Amino acid sequence: MMDWISIPLVGFPLVASLALLAFVGNASPAARAKVGPTIRFLSLVISIAMLALTTAMFFGQLDGDTMLDWNTMSFGSFNFEFRYMWIEMLGIHWSVGMDALSFPMVWLTTFLLPITIVATWNEKNAAVYFPLLLMMGGALIGVFVALDLFMFYVFWELTLIPMFFLILKWGGKDRKYASQKFFIYTFTASVVMLLGLVTMYFMQPENLTYAGDWTGRTFDIPTLISHSQAANAEGNWFLGESMQKVLFVMLMIGFLVKLPSVPFHTWLPDAHVQAPTGGSMLLAGVMLKMGAYGMFRLPLALFPHAAHHFQLYLLLFGMVSLVWGAIVCLGQTNLKKMVAYSSVSHMGVILIGIATMQPLGWAAALFMMFAHGIISPMLFAVCGAFKHHYHSMEIGAMRGMAKHSPWLATSMMFAWMASLGLPLLAGFVAELMMFLALWHFLAAEGWSVLWMVGPALVLALTAAYYLWSMQRTIFEGGEKTQPPESLHGAPVPDIADSEKLAMIIMAVFTILFGVMPWIALDMMNGWTVGFFNSLLIPILGGA
Amino acid sequence: MAGSGSSDIVHSTAAQYAPYILLLPMLAFPIILYLGKALNGNKMWKDTLKEGGIIALGVMGASLLLSLWLVSDFIGAYGGMEMLSDWTWFTSSMWSAGDVATHEVSFGFGIHIDHITVLLLFVASFLCLLINTFAIGYMNTDPINDNRNHRFYAEFVLFCSGMLGMVLADSFLWLFIFWELMGLCSYLLIGFYYERPSAAYAAKKAFLTTRVGDVFLMVGLAVLWDLFGSLDYAVVFDSYNIEAVAASSSGTLAWALGLMFIGAVGKSAQFPLHVWLPDAMEGPTPVSALIHAATMVNAGLYLVARMFPFFGHEALHGDLADLAFIIAAIGGTTAVMAAAIAFVQHDLKKVLAYSTMSQLAYIFTGLGSALYLANTLHWHKYLADGTVNADYYVNHAIVVVAFGAALFHLFNHAMAKGMLFMASGAVIHEVHHAHHHLHHHEHDDHHGSNNPEELVMLAKHLSENDQTVYDFFKSIDLDDSGDIDMFEFQKALTATKIANLPPWEMDALVKAVDINGDGRLNLPELDLALGRILSEVDHGHHDEFDAQSMENMGGLASKMPITATAMLVGSLSIMGFPLIGGFWSKEGIIANTWRVALDDPRFFYPAMCVLLGAAMTGFYMSRMWLKTFAGSPKGEVAANVHPTNTWIKTPLFILTFFSLGGIVLASMGFTHWAPDIEYGLMSDHGGLWGGFLYEMEHVFANSDPFFFILTYIALFFGAIVGPGLALSLYGGALDEGEEAKAWFGPVLALNAAIKSRYHWDNSAFAQSGFATALSNRLYFDHYYDMAMLKIVAAFSNKAAETDAAVIDGTIKAIERTSQDLSTKLRSLTTGSARDYILMAAVGTLVLVGLIWGVVA
Repeated sequence: MMDWISIPLVGFPLVASLALLAFVGNASPAARAKVGPTIRFLSLVISIAMLALTTAMFFGQLDGDTMLDWNTMSFGSFNFEFRYMWIEMLGIHWSVGMDALSFPMVWLTTFLLPITIVATWNEKNAAVYFPLLLMMGGALIGVFVALDLFMFYVFWELTLIPMFFLILKWGGKDRKYASQKFFIYTFTASVVMLLGLVTMYFMQPENLTYAGDWTGRTFDIPTLISHSQAANAEGNWFLGESMQKVLFVMLMIGFLVKLPSVPFHTWLPDAHVQAPTGGSMLLAGVMLKMGAYGMFRLPLALFPHAAHHFQLYLLLFGMVSLVWGAIVCLGQTNLKKMVAYSSVSHMGVILIGIATMQPLGWAAALFMMFAHGIISPMLFAVCGAFKHHYHSMEIGAMRGMAKHSPWLATSMMFAWMASLGLPLLAGFVAELMMFLALWHFLAAEGWSVLWMVGPALVLALTAAYYLWSMQRTIFEGGEKTQPPESLHGAPVPDIADSEKLAMIIMAVFTILFGVMPWIALDMMNGWTVGFFNSLLIPILGGA
Repeated sequence: MAGSGSSDIVHSTAAQYAPYILLLPMLAFPIILYLGKALNGNKMWKDTLKEGGIIALGVMGASLLLSLWLVSDFIGAYGGMEMLSDWTWFTSSMWSAGDVATHEVSFGFGIHIDHITVLLLFVASFLCLLINTFAIGYMNTDPINDNRNHRFYAEFVLFCSGMLGMVLADSFLWLFIFWELMGLCSYLLIGFYYERPSAAYAAKKAFLTTRVGDVFLMVGLAVLWDLFGSLDYAVVFDSYNIEAVAASSSGTLAWALGLMFIGAVGKSAQFPLHVWLPDAMEGPTPVSALIHAATMVNAGLYLVARMFPFFGHEALHGDLADLAFIIAAIGGTTAVMAAAIAFVQHDLKKVLAYSTMSQLAYIFTGLGSALYLANTLHWHKYLADGTVNADYYVNHAIVVVAFGAALFHLFNHAMAKGMLFMASGAVIHEVHHAHHHLHHHEHDDHHGSNNPEELVMLAKHLSENDQTVYDFFKSIDLDDSGDIDMFEFQKALTATKIANLPPWEMDALVKAVDINGDGRLNLPELDLALGRILSEVDHGHHDEFDAQSMENMGGLASKMPITATAMLVGSLSIMGFPLIGGFWSKEGIIANTWRVALDDPRFFYPAMCVLLGAAMTGFYMSRMWLKTFAGSPKGEVAANVHPTNTWIKTPLFILTFFSLGGIVLASMGFTHWAPDIEYGLMSDHGGLWGGFLYEMEHVFANSDPFFFILTYIALFFGAIVGPGLALSLYGGALDEGEEAKAWFGPVLALNAAIKSRYHWDNSAFAQSGFATALSNRLYFDHYYDMAMLKIVAAFSNKAAETDAAVIDGTIKAIERTSQDLSTKLRSLTTGSARDYILMAAVGTLVLVGLIWGVVA
């Protein structure tokens, strides 16, 4: 049994990145430039080793004599569960484990790390940049494997630090403003969440398992969930009705800002537009999913009564994000800003999926988290390459890309098509399931089919902004296209080989999960079924 | 249900291989793309493999063989319906209120074969192969396509895979998936000449317009799924399931089908989502032939035909009649509208595009009528209460024949229109080559000069009116700012009646002139651009020759006999000329629509439309043929056209016989093609000869006086009035010394005779406001563009502003307030020891006061 495996998975990248940063920290710029390629290579090796580890976990090869089975785990059980007492007085543990909710996210993180490294192979100041990416990866995995509220919060905030520096040091013109806004905005929301967590800590019944010596309270997430479950079974609200509602709202504020949902989304376009490509890829690919992951892990599992109570508000947030995000996309002239707003729109799908309170909708949300985690980094990689090669982010700055940069044009078309939900690419399955679940919910509530037209028209709007932007980048230009002004007469380049490699890998996986969604979907379905059968159905009114 | 292997029928060997029909072309897609990239420019790749054309040909040939095997198996077996649904795609779960646990829902993939599948499967695989052959002769002989044909063939086979997959799929879900795949390929292929702004615009327009329909289709599918818990045909067409749904929610089912029908309207380019099809002609001609005439546009018809089991079910008797009327009415409207617009088109391919729209509309009308009959007549052997139906034989025949006529027209139209497009491609190809040959143009001039047309017109306008660029500029720069933006420029163009362009085209126009790249135009920039254009126009560099315009053709009958023959036969088939393919099905559609009209007066509208449309079809198809092939060549280019190559001729030759052979197919019983124990091919009326006699009698000597008269009215309209008008207006005898094939002799002689005797002046009509409206496509495109511009674009721009100003503004305001607050706090940090001591003293006092207050 390799229960301790999460420790190196989280710790190794963190320690390695800190060691590397310490190593180059005092070096002169010249020396840094000299070790840059070595450090880059080391980072790549570490990230690939992590990917190999999680992939082996997927195939069930890591658990000694028994095969891991992610698809039929019972709800509340974890693979590689490991608990080590850390601060006895308060009941804080190094407590980790993976279930079918967290494992896809962990795998996604380890998948994106090497891709990000390869896609931004030529980033400046490599000796610092690549260790920061590693640190980002370690912190993200920490969030996903933590089973202790304290640990969860520590890693949650830890992710801000590398991202802050990535934006601040490698960002665009307004990087200072963007990095500060990003930090303060999400940090403020996290503080509300922290207050909620602390309140929950003190409001819980005394002397549950893994409780602190002195406080008599526990930070252990599985313990709290099983306690909540027990309270539900007796027909009670865990922690009482009004307290549960208040706590639900406090936690949700932290997660909705991170997701982000309209109207808490304005940090995202600023952060994305200023962030370097690698930062954007991890930000959109995994960091946004922390919000959705957190919802499933904490408020929905701990406070299902309140979740049911606020169901229509969740739906409202989801609908507004979906529709507003798409409309605002259409009004953008900056390629990266458009893509950033499209993320807002897609995160709306996740919220709607949750709000349907159907296993199908939840599986849709989980699969959307995963699919968007592969597609959106590709979107940002394309944006990054566009900016890198044409020194502009304005839609229409460069036309006739199909002629001058066929690889970039092909990648762009593929990524755009994947994002607008083309069938047989990863995003479609999630959108389809969300639609089916949404209509099932609306029909059961007696709503008119016209309510479906709004979210459905977003599909057309999404197609509109993506096609409109392709018309003015890939197409047109005539036989005698002039290179854009921003190139100052330099020849028009295509993307570098490392970028090609990253694009191809992302495209292959987008197709893989579009054609064979069950690879990831089966375990997600198993998890939602467990959740519904053990937690939610009694509350929703099952016999 | 997927994964459950719901079929009881033993699978034939052919059916086992059915998945390969779509898998082979799908696998060829990456192979051709990769080889094309790797071997680009290689001599063998180019000459022997035709840049992937031969690979595609091989794959399509294999698909056709497998399809033919399946078709022959099916026709021989009378299996009714066969399914292979053994693969689960993915599963998830649902929870129903009151249940203690969730239940699994699964989405599968499988193959479904019935008579509709078989018909479409043959049409698709056969035409894919023929048009692939044509494409080798068309694409690979044009230098403009050199070294990028592999992209064409890769996208071509992917499209074929999508079409074949849609036809074979066993659920509405996979129908939708392949439907979207075809949409993607259509988008890529319309935009094949990506450097042309018009192609980029057309591609986007096609994708977006069909996407609007798809949105409704998807909602419809969601509703349907919720009713049945599945989208598999095996579940939704199950008699007991339909009964259960009919009992509780027949109204919701009607909504679902209606929403799905909107998807069909978009895909098949019917009013009001028809605007994309004429623009789609920007794609290479093989694409127009395959996707936008013969196969993809049939997808909407296929979807509606698939709904037949709902309409035909006793449990839903009468519930869906309104929807059937809507389908027929949309069809009737489009039939007349598109035919009218085709009257005034000069572009050969655009005439065919509108003709496609109009003929598809006929099929919609036919389907609408057939579905109405199926929904309102008691045509099953037993009534709902289990008693034997007395009207069974009569009603059953009516329903089957009505449905069969619509499907048969789909078949005839696909064959004829595929051929017509290929023939038009041959003409355009040769006219283009003749033009090249005569004018020794360099390849670069292929698309004409790079000057935007509007700027050329503006330059001409100024020189004609003796207006200087300076004056012009001052007149539009109303605020005297020294430069003008896109909207001011647009206003000026509109005011001078040059053009009224949508913003994306305006933007391109501004970019073409905008030297300093600030997005605005100043006087020097405009002066420079217009001056250069004027000098080019004066020197005649501007190449305005349009190889697709019928104004540059004429008299080609003697020069391209095979093409002219194919075009003639195809046109006659579309017109419904007696005994040729389209005649049988078109008569059937007209008769059935009138049959319904006698029953439900609402149907007089589509019935009048299709009757009128018959005459209109006769007119515009004849006009097209005559303008292209009859009379003297218009210009020296047309006089120097040569016959085309074998790759192009072969499919034309084959399809000519398919259209001519309509009589044989009709005699075999394809006019009532149904998997029905009552109706077998070649058996109803005693073999082929008996079938021939029956069909002839049925059409020309119908015992029912109403249909007898109706047939001759339709014939009079379609074969005499329409063509007669065209003959009197267009064409004329060939030039002296030009020899035509013997079979054109009568046509050309008749044409010359009628023209000299009955020619009349139609200029009053040609200059009327109605003709202007027609040539502007009845302003639909204009208003749609305006709506996009004025409503959608304006609203989204406003939304983007709001997002920045209001939502982010609020956050910024909070941020600023807190910053101000902290600045004020920080201003206390003066650095002076005295202030600190003071503050410490005040602080201590407050603290002491607080403690005292608490304690006391």
